[in-house]
Amino acid sequence: MTAQAALSESRASKLMKTIGILPFVLVLTCVLLALYEPRFLRTSNLINVLRNASFLTIISAGQMLVIIVGGFDISVGAIVALTSVSSALSMVGLSSMGIESAGVIVALGCLMGLIPALMVGIANGFLVSVLKISPFMVTIGTMTIAAGIAGYVTGGTPIYDMPELFTREIGRGKVFGLPYIVYAAAIVLAVLWYMQNQTRLGRYFYAVGGNEKASRLSGLNTRKYIWLAYVLSALLAGIVGLFLTARVGSGEATLGSNLMLESISVAVIGGVALKGGVGRIQMVALSALFLAVLSNGMSLARIDSKYHIIIIGLVIVIAVAAESFRESRRSNHV
Amino acid sequence: MSDQAQPSGIDLRAVGPHLLLPLAIVGVVVLFALLQPAMLSGDNIVNIMKQSSLFFFVACAQLVVIITRGFDLSVGANVSLVSVASSMVMTAVMPLYGTGLGIALGVGTGLLIGLVIGAVNGVLVAYGRINPFIVTLATMSIFTGVATTISGGFPIFNLPEAFSYAFNQMIILMLPIPLIIAGLVAYAMHFSLTRTVHGRVLYVLGDSNEVAHVAGRRVKEHLFLAYVTSGVLASIAGLLMTAQTGSGEPNLGTSLVLNSIAAAVIGGASLRGGSGGISAPIYGALLIVCLSIGMNLQQINGSLQPVVIGAILIFGAALDAIKTKAR
Amino acid sequence: MSSTSTKPGASVAPGTSAAPLIKIAHLDKSYGAFKALEDMQFELRAGEVHVLFGENGAGKSTLIQIICGVQSFDAGTYSLFGENVTSLTPAVAHQKGVSIVFQEFSLIPDMTVEENLFLGHEMTSGGRLAKGAMRAKVQTVLDRLGFHLDPAARVSTLRRAHQQMVEIAKALLWDCKVLILDEPTASLTDQEAAQLFDIIEQLRSEGLGIVYVSHRMPEITRLADRVTVLRDGKFIATVNKADTSEKELVQLMTGRTFDEFFPHIKRDVGDTVLSFENVTLQSGLAENISFEVKRGEVLGFAGLAGCGKSEVLRAAFGLEVVTTGRITANGVSLDKHAPRKALSNRICYFPSDRATEGLAMHQSLISNSSIAALDDPVFSRGKTLLNRRAEKGFTEKMIDKLKIRTPGLNAKADQLSGGNKQKLMIARGLSREFDVFLFDEPTVGVDIQAKLEIYDVIKALTEEGKAVVIASSELAEVMHMSHRVIVMREGKIVGELDGEAVTEDALLSHFFDHGDEETQGQHAP
Repeated sequence: MTAQAALSESRASKLMKTIGILPFVLVLTCVLLALYEPRFLRTSNLINVLRNASFLTIISAGQMLVIIVGGFDISVGAIVALTSVSSALSMVGLSSMGIESAGVIVALGCLMGLIPALMVGIANGFLVSVLKISPFMVTIGTMTIAAGIAGYVTGGTPIYDMPELFTREIGRGKVFGLPYIVYAAAIVLAVLWYMQNQTRLGRYFYAVGGNEKASRLSGLNTRKYIWLAYVLSALLAGIVGLFLTARVGSGEATLGSNLMLESISVAVIGGVALKGGVGRIQMVALSALFLAVLSNGMSLARIDSKYHIIIIGLVIVIAVAAESFRESRRSNHV
Repeated sequence: MSDQAQPSGIDLRAVGPHLLLPLAIVGVVVLFALLQPAMLSGDNIVNIMKQSSLFFFVACAQLVVIITRGFDLSVGANVSLVSVASSMVMTAVMPLYGTGLGIALGVGTGLLIGLVIGAVNGVLVAYGRINPFIVTLATMSIFTGVATTISGGFPIFNLPEAFSYAFNQMIILMLPIPLIIAGLVAYAMHFSLTRTVHGRVLYVLGDSNEVAHVAGRRVKEHLFLAYVTSGVLASIAGLLMTAQTGSGEPNLGTSLVLNSIAAAVIGGASLRGGSGGISAPIYGALLIVCLSIGMNLQQINGSLQPVVIGAILIFGAALDAIKTKAR
Repeated sequence: MSSTSTKPGASVAPGTSAAPLIKIAHLDKSYGAFKALEDMQFELRAGEVHVLFGENGAGKSTLIQIICGVQSFDAGTYSLFGENVTSLTPAVAHQKGVSIVFQEFSLIPDMTVEENLFLGHEMTSGGRLAKGAMRAKVQTVLDRLGFHLDPAARVSTLRRAHQQMVEIAKALLWDCKVLILDEPTASLTDQEAAQLFDIIEQLRSEGLGIVYVSHRMPEITRLADRVTVLRDGKFIATVNKADTSEKELVQLMTGRTFDEFFPHIKRDVGDTVLSFENVTLQSGLAENISFEVKRGEVLGFAGLAGCGKSEVLRAAFGLEVVTTGRITANGVSLDKHAPRKALSNRICYFPSDRATEGLAMHQSLISNSSIAALDDPVFSRGKTLLNRRAEKGFTEKMIDKLKIRTPGLNAKADQLSGGNKQKLMIARGLSREFDVFLFDEPTVGVDIQAKLEIYDVIKALTEEGKAVVIASSELAEVMHMSHRVIVMREGKIVGELDGEAVTEDALLSHFFDHGDEETQGQHAP
C-alpha cells in the first residue's frame, strides 16, 4: 500500500531530520581542533567557547522565532546596543540619586534596559503584523533608529561606573564553574524547547509561518503570534544586551554590531528555513556552539580576525546551498 | 459599469504619487534654505549634485535587483573592495608605467571586481536558487573581509591627482562630472528597463518567476544579468567615491547597504518585486542626500540623522503597504 | 455578538424540520465593483444534505465562506441556529458547531497530520499539550472514517487524496451541527469517495445539516435532498431532488440547454502535430503515455483531479521532466524539453493556475499579452529592443477581438475579473503562430459569458486547422467540446473514446476502478 510506503519514508526522513548533519560536523570540528591545538581542551578555553555560544544561542533563539513566523529581525544588534546604553545610564543615574543597595540599582537598571528593547519589539511586531509592511524594511528602519538613538544618547563615549555587583559578579562571576550567561542560555533553551514541543503557542508559531491563510481559517489570531515573535526576539536581544554590558563593564552604543549577521547565520545553519514554519531550538543551539567553536579554532590557529568573516560567509553559503539541495531533492520525491 | 466615471479619478491617482516625491524634495530644500541660507549657496548645490549622483549608483544597483524581488546586501562590500583594489592597482602601476595607464588599469580593475561580485551573486541566486538575502549577506561578509585583508585595514593614499580630477572635480558645462556620468547611466538604465526585452522580462519575473518561465523566457539568464548589472553599478559608485575621498578606504561602503535600499524603496520601488522605474533611485537619492546635507548644515547631531532616515524608510514602506492593500 | 432571536421558539431538534439551522435571506456581498452575491437565499434544515449547485464563479464559495465566518457580508440577514448573525469569525463559527472542509487545502505542509487536525483546538492538560489524548482521539476518528493515515506523517509527504482525507477528518474531529463540504471528492479515488458518501449518509441520519458543494451529477443524484442553484452570484431556485431531473438542473445552472451552450466544432482532421510515445514522467504522476493529436481536432483529457491529465499537458510544454519515452512535435523530437523549446516548436500552453503561472498580476495588459512572443521579430528587433508600437497595437486588437473588459491598456492584470484574465492569457496564445494549443482547465473561475467566448475561441482555432488539447475536470466540458476523449486514472491512460462513443456513462465507467461500478453508476435513462 502507498500509505505504508509513505509511512516508512516519513520515518526515514524524520530520523534524518532529527539528527541531521550538524552534530557530526560539530564533533568532527572539535576532534580536529583538539588534535591540532591541545590548548582547545583547556578548561578556560572551553568555558570561553561556551560563553560565546551562550550569547549566540540566546540572540539566535529570538531570530529563530521571527524566522519561523516568516520574517526577519535585522534590528537585534541595535537592540543590544540600545539596551546596553539604557541600562548603563539608568544604573549610573540611580546610584547618583543616592540609592544605596546595589541589588536594587542593578535590578531596576536591568528593567530600564529592557524597556526600550521591548518598545522596539512592539513597534516591529505592530508594523509587520498589523500594517503588513515587509519585515525587512521594518527592522532595517527600527535598527537605524535604535542605533541612532543609542549613539546620540552616549555621544559616542562608553558609560562606566556601574555597580560592581553588575560588572564583576554578573559579568565575570561563575556559579559551579560556569558563567551566568551559560545558565541563562540553558534556561532559554529549556523554555523554548518546552514551548515548541509541549504547548499550543509553539505549534501556532509553526502554523502561522507554515501557511498563514490556513492558520487563519483554522481560527488562529495570526497577527497576535507574529507580533509576539517580534516582541520575544527583542526581549531575548535585550537580555543579551544586559549580559554583554556586564561583561564589557560599560554601556556602549556599538555593542552587538555583529550580532544581527551572526544570529541570522546561526539560525540558517541550524536549519531554520527562511520560508518560515520550520526550525528547532536545539538545532539552533548546536549551530551556535558550532560557530563559537569555529571562531575559537580560528583564533587558536592564529588566523587573522579579518579572515573570520570570510570563512563565516563561506560556511553560510555552504549550509544554505546544502539545504536548498536537500529541499529540491525532497520535492522531486513527492 | 462605472467606466465613464473612472478616467478623471484614475488620472489624479496616477499623477498624485508622481508628484509626491518631487514635492517632498523641494519641501526639504526649501525648509533647510529657510533655516540656513547656505543651503542654496553655489558650493552647496554642487555638493548636493555630486553626493546624490554618487548615491544614485548604489540606489540604482539596488533597484535592478529589487525589481526581480531580490536584494543586494553586498553593494557596500563591493564599494569598499573596489575602492581598495583600484587604489592599490593605481598606486602600484603609476610609478612604473605612468599616470594614464595607472588610472586606466585601476578603473578597469574596479569595474572587473564589480562584474565578478555581481556574477558570484548571480550564479548563486539564479542558478543555485538560493535566497538572495542569504547569498548577498554571505558575499557581503566575504568581500568585506577581502577588502580589509588586502588593505591591512588601512586607507591607501597617494592616488593620482588626475584621478580625482577626472572623476570628481571636473566640471563640464557647469555640471560636475559625477552628475554627467550619473545622467548617462540613468538614461541607459531607463532605456534598458523600458525599451528592451531584458527590462520587460525583469519586471515580469519579479512579479512571478513561473509566469516568465512558462512564457518561454530565459529566467535564469535574465536574473543573472540583473545581479551582474547591480555589481557593475556598485563598482562605478566605488570608483567615484574613491575619487571623491582621494584615497582607497576599506570601509567606504559600510553604511551604504541600508541607505541604498532605503533610497530605492522611498523612491517607489516595491520589495514585492515587479515595480519601480529609474525615477526611484533618482528621487530616493535626492531626498536622502538633501536631508542629510540639510541636517549637517543645521548641525543636527550625526547620530540622530539615521533616526530621521529610518523613520522616513518605515513611512515610505508603510505608504507602499497601504497602497497595495487598497488595490 | 447580537443574539436577538427573530423567530419565536427557535429551537433545533435533530430530525425535525421545525426551524432551519441556517437561514439566509436577501444577502448581498461585493468585492469592490464586483458583485459576488446578490439577493441570495439559502436554508439548511437538520438532517438534510443540501447541495449548492452552480458553475465556477457562480458564488458558491463566497456563500459558504460567509456561512463559516471567513467572509463578512454587506446586506441581508443570516441566522445561524435561530440567532441573527452580524459578525462571525471562523473560530466562533467553529465553536457554535459549523465545520467546513475547504476545497483549497487549509493544511500546514510542514506539520504532521495530527498537528493539523487539532490546529487551533489543541487539547491541553495544565497548559501542556495532551499528546496521548489527542493521539487517541485522532485514531478514533480515523478508524470511524476508515482512513488509513499515519497521524505522525508530515502533510507535505502525503498524496493529494490523503491530504483531502486529512481535511475531512479535521472537520469531523469535533462534534458539529452543520458540516460544509466544498467539492470533497475532487481528488478522491472511487473507493475513498464511496466511503465518504457512507459517512455523509450516516451523519445525516444523526441529524446534521450538510451543505454539499458540487457540480458532479452522480454525487448529487446519490446524496442530495434539496438542491439550490446559483448562477452569476444570483439565487436561481431551490428544488427537491426527488422532483427534478438532471436536465432541468443543468438548465437552471447554465440558463440554457446543453445544445445551445457548447458550440458545434467541425472536425476536419489533418496531419499529426504532436505525439507522445510511452512517456513516463519523473514525478511519477503519468506513466507510459502514448497518444497523438492531429490538426483540426479537439482532444480531451478527462479524469479525476490528480489523475495525471494536467501533468501530460505540462509535459508536452516542457514543464515536467520526462524520464523515458519521446515527445514529438511536427516531426521534431523534443529532448531536454523546456517551455522555450515548446514555444519555438509552435506549442502553446494555458496553465490552470492563472495566478502563479499564467499572468504577471502586477504588470500591464500589454506586458502580459506579448511576453511569450518577445523574441518574435514582430515584437522586438534583434530579440533585444522592444517594438512598443506593435505591442500596443496587438493588445488593442486582442481587447477588441476577445472582448476583454478592462479599465485601460495600462491596467494591471490583477484588475480584471476571472473571465477577462483567462481571455488575456488566451490573447498571449494568439501573439505568435502556434499549431498546438494546450488548455489546462480552460474555464476555471470564469463566468458564463466569458466561458462561451472561450469556447468560441477554441472552436475558431480548431476550425482554422490547429490542434487543440483540453484537460478539464468539468465532465460536460470535455465531453461536449472534444472530438476524442482520453480518460486517465492514477497516472495511466485507461480508455479512449471517439466521436459518438463519447457519452457520460462511457466516460464515468472509465473514471473508476471497474470492480466498484455498482456503487457509482446508477443512471436512469
